[in-house]
Amino acid sequence: MSSAEIRITAEPIDTARCKFLVSEPVHEGGVRRFVSPEEANGSPLVEAIFAIPGADVSEVIVSGNLVTVVKRGAAPWQVVGKSVGGAIRAALAGARPAVAPKPAAPVAAGGVDDDTLYDRVAELFEAQVNPMVARHGGRVELIDVQDAVVMLRMAGGCQGCGMADVTLRQGIEAMLQQAVPEVKGIVDITDHTAGANPYFAAAKK
Amino acid sequence: MPGPSKPRLLLLLPTATYRATAFVEAARRLGVELTVASELPSTFEQAQPDRLVTLDFSDPERAAQQAAEFARRHPVAGVIGVDDDGAVVAAAIAGRLGLRGNPPAAALAARDKHVQRRELAGHGVPVPRFELHGLDEDVRAVAARVHYPCVLKPLRLAASRGVIRADDPAGFVAAFDRLRRVLEQPDVAACGDWARRFLVEDFVPGPEVALEGLVIDGRLEVLGLFDKPDPLDGPFFEETMYVTPSRLPDPAQRALARCGETAVAALGVREGPIHAELRYNARGPWLIELAARSIGGRCSAVLRFTAGEGGSGKGWASLEELIIRHAVGLPIPSLEREQYAAGVMMIPVPGEGVLREVRGIVEARAVPLVEDVSITAHPGEALVPWPEGSRYPGFIFARGETPEAVEEALRAAHGRLTFVLQ
Repeated sequence: MSSAEIRITAEPIDTARCKFLVSEPVHEGGVRRFVSPEEANGSPLVEAIFAIPGADVSEVIVSGNLVTVVKRGAAPWQVVGKSVGGAIRAALAGARPAVAPKPAAPVAAGGVDDDTLYDRVAELFEAQVNPMVARHGGRVELIDVQDAVVMLRMAGGCQGCGMADVTLRQGIEAMLQQAVPEVKGIVDITDHTAGANPYFAAAKK
Repeated sequence: MPGPSKPRLLLLLPTATYRATAFVEAARRLGVELTVASELPSTFEQAQPDRLVTLDFSDPERAAQQAAEFARRHPVAGVIGVDDDGAVVAAAIAGRLGLRGNPPAAALAARDKHVQRRELAGHGVPVPRFELHGLDEDVRAVAARVHYPCVLKPLRLAASRGVIRADDPAGFVAAFDRLRRVLEQPDVAACGDWARRFLVEDFVPGPEVALEGLVIDGRLEVLGLFDKPDPLDGPFFEETMYVTPSRLPDPAQRALARCGETAVAALGVREGPIHAELRYNARGPWLIELAARSIGGRCSAVLRFTAGEGGSGKGWASLEELIIRHAVGLPIPSLEREQYAAGVMMIPVPGEGVLREVRGIVEARAVPLVEDVSITAHPGEALVPWPEGSRYPGFIFARGETPEAVEEALRAAHGRLTFVLQ
């Protein structure tokens, strides 16, 4: 497929975060998260995104067909998004993989590696989180843990729900803080616009 | 992650809200402890009792009692009501807990259009001539004596739901029948006696604007004045575009701001956000409505202020950050809006039917100056046009050098969208 045939849909979450849905896989080796240009070395796509002038990119998350970019700069997504789109097309057209494979999980300073955290978070999700959201027809899938940051996807009644962020921050994140305090953060990679059966639908209020 | 010494905000968030993300993220950026209170329980409430509570939004005094019990265990520094009902509950809670807030009478007056008209008219604020009527009255007799053109209006419904213009007695009778069907819908009829009454008021010609403000110790700070470039002349009043800064002449803008200040004082609003709708014509400004809450939908994303997080001057502050800072007593670095023009289009309902697909989103986002196209209706959702409906299928946001360019971008982006209905 030529770069011209690649379709990219930008889904801004707010002025700082934007998801880019790509018509072909960008990285098939699970989720990768980058929080500095140094970490991006060896991953041409991410190197290019961190180098976008004026964006002051602080984080890039790549998973399958999804690229999530977090920026600090004031430049609007309408401008930054074009550069991100160009970077994606150029990286997919290149000879090297757009994103390097995930390196072996390092042991965190507290002595807990991502694989161990993954197991503990997965257990928490199955034993406590999912039984709770199931009452509203929802489900939360653990995608990966990287550098002690949990990546998840919401489904069913949670996907597109007007209160999804409340569930995420006031419920799930709080439980993680208490049960797995080594977790440093949580990233929702759900495409909420595709939710067909949200438990709470928003109205103008 | 916020520590225990941070101020705690009690956020009254109805479950049918667009506003959750904006407020939750703003609270996180400011590092305040957040407790979300809703009218229905969260599935996590038992597991996180300090972060999620259920309050009886239908009974402000009972909700205030529940909040007081909560605050004994978890001291609260501020309370915010996100919608009209929440503003009334927030006033009751603020009074009970001694927090910054509005007198309950002010919040009640802001919620009920008849009480509001009465208070405003009594204090000399220019409002359309109005009468209160009931669904049980002889509609033909009422139609024979009202002035035309007029507007029939429910006392409390949001987003101009049920608001209909009538130009003659026959039109009045037709509008009355349609309004009655809205007010007799189960979700409305169950709300109380107010749903058996409605206002009839003179139609005020002239351009309409929206004024977003923050009231601090009784003084109105104007945060933004939005033009509504599409004329709102009826017969229904579905809103489309808000664009700021206003292109009205400076004297008109100053007169509108003064009208807003007078209305705030007349209603007794003392603290927190307000959202007002006003009109302007040869006789000057007219106060159409004033709500003791911030702008609805996702429209607040169009406003950003020159102070950044923590007042560092980096980045932008959102409207919700200003509101939270004010509520919990954090310093407010600036109330100055950015210098760019900005606008939002509440995408009009394209027709009645079940939404299958929206085409052209990528093309709409590619329009220069457009920052986002957010489709909030989900596949399979029934779209209901005004006046029976009140939910927009989505929002378009744009920012640029001039309001003219922003308006043009919004229209161009909208023109690239196709809604496929079944």
